[in-house]
Amino acid sequence: MVNLEELKKEARQILKEGKVKYIIGFQRSSNGLLPVPAFIKNPEDVEKLVWDPTCVYNLTLFLRDEKRKKAKEKEPDERPVGIVVKGCDSRAINVLLQEEFIKREDVYVLGISCENTGVLDEKKLAKKLKGKKAKKVEFGAKDDFVVTTEDGKIKIAAQEVLAERCLECKAHFPVVYDVLIGEKTKRNVENPFKSLEKIESLPPKERWKFWKEQIDKCIRCYACRSVCPMCYCDECVADTINFVVTPDTPAEEKAQKIKWLEKSPVSSENFVYHFVRAIHLAGRCIDCGECERVCPLDIPVRFLNKKLEKEAKELFDYEAGFDPDKPSLVSSFKDDDPEDFIR
Amino acid sequence: MAEEFEPKIVAFLCKWCSSAGSDLAGVSRMEYPPNVIPITVMCSGSVSPLYIFSAFNKGADGVLVSGCHPGDCHYIKGNFYARRRIALVKKLLEYVGLEPERFQMSWISAAEGVKYTQVIKDFVQELKPLGPQKKLRRTQ
Ligand code: SF4
Ligand code: SF4
Ligand code: SF4
Ligand code: FES
Repeated sequence: MVNLEELKKEARQILKEGKVKYIIGFQRSSNGLLPVPAFIKNPEDVEKLVWDPTCVYNLTLFLRDEKRKKAKEKEPDERPVGIVVKGCDSRAINVLLQEEFIKREDVYVLGISCENTGVLDEKKLAKKLKGKKAKKVEFGAKDDFVVTTEDGKIKIAAQEVLAERCLECKAHFPVVYDVLIGEKTKRNVENPFKSLEKIESLPPKERWKFWKEQIDKCIRCYACRSVCPMCYCDECVADTINFVVTPDTPAEEKAQKIKWLEKSPVSSENFVYHFVRAIHLAGRCIDCGECERVCPLDIPVRFLNKKLEKEAKELFDYEAGFDPDKPSLVSSFKDDDPEDFIR
Repeated sequence: MAEEFEPKIVAFLCKWCSSAGSDLAGVSRMEYPPNVIPITVMCSGSVSPLYIFSAFNKGADGVLVSGCHPGDCHYIKGNFYARRRIALVKKLLEYVGLEPERFQMSWISAAEGVKYTQVIKDFVQELKPLGPQKKLRRTQ
């Protein structure tokens, strides 16, 4: 089992030695079940670190902010940032390395294995508790979670309240790390794309109906984009919408700043946004599930990413985030890539 | 009787092969349906998925991406990259329920004027029964 004290000890050590400039981890929030990110500079503050099934966030998101901040500093502190990652998050680090968005020496990775469970789906838990409020969720001894409510502690089998992605996760321990906490347990996932079957097996008309209904709900708040560690582009096509053409706008600028889609959250424009998002994340999305978790309209965006993850695997035998030295999905090809769809 | 539906096809043709192939069809006075809006691109590898989504968004009934045969790309590998990318786009569009017939890819060389006309003829035939593409079309 993962020992939080081990994580704290390691964190304290590297801060004391000055190996890292700060550590990004999880800490309790004063309000609500889910933790908040912690940015820890002082060894004494290491006590704040927590690790439990509510640590759902993919903290690698903050590497983007760190990079931007650093770029503005005159004399940046070149030491790495310490960061707490789960298996899925660690694969995000690999993708960022592969794309040379960060360098290996920019991060000191404190990897934690999810062992036999994973993280919580808050909504599933709420359903399970039928109105009772969870105050605390901890890992139990036997692939279960121990949930504290006002009525005391209850045990729930992890399978019942795990996030969807954890149920399909075949890489539940970090693939890149400087320190590993917990064990690389064995896990059998028969079909990592099982959740897709429900949609895939619908007849095309029904599938359209399903997606239209979902995509039509989108209010284009871009929370799904903001939370994704891979959505780090300085400019996004979704933002080329406020471009005003005046008589002295140079032709060059007009050519580069095409208004690809309208800002209005209507069906056609939402589809363009979601297509672009899905395609640009193909071979890059590591299924941390954050985009779907933050969507205020409960749009199952993960199913778009997951579909392309599946196709990448089946058509091109490509999996995101396992090897930072490999060329990316769309910057490579094989001579015998399928072409039965080409005339 | 109502007028027969004439689908609009946006065709992204690479300059070195497919576009030249379509020119050959033209100068040889081969007959083919006038449903195509050709857009010459430097290479099939330069067709961003966004172009495809945008074409459907702007009202295309069908979209074609056409490049040189494998091994013949002017930029050596452009069409191999395209093949991968287009496969993903195709899967995505079908997954949300767009009719698979609406998005096609072909290899057409500069000498294949005949193949070009055939691809277009077939495409038009397949699109006709589907009627106008309204799913992804901008409505405002
Ligand atoms: S997806 Fe895998 S690595 Fe990520 S939290 Fe779930 S079990 Fe852990
Ligand atoms: S988070 Fe949801 S509502 Fe907001 S842009 Fe993304 S899909 Fe749309
Ligand atoms: S697309 Fe969603 S699941 Fe994939 S990496 Fe981004 S936030 Fe995570
Ligand atoms: S130039 Fe024709 S496909 Fe590259």
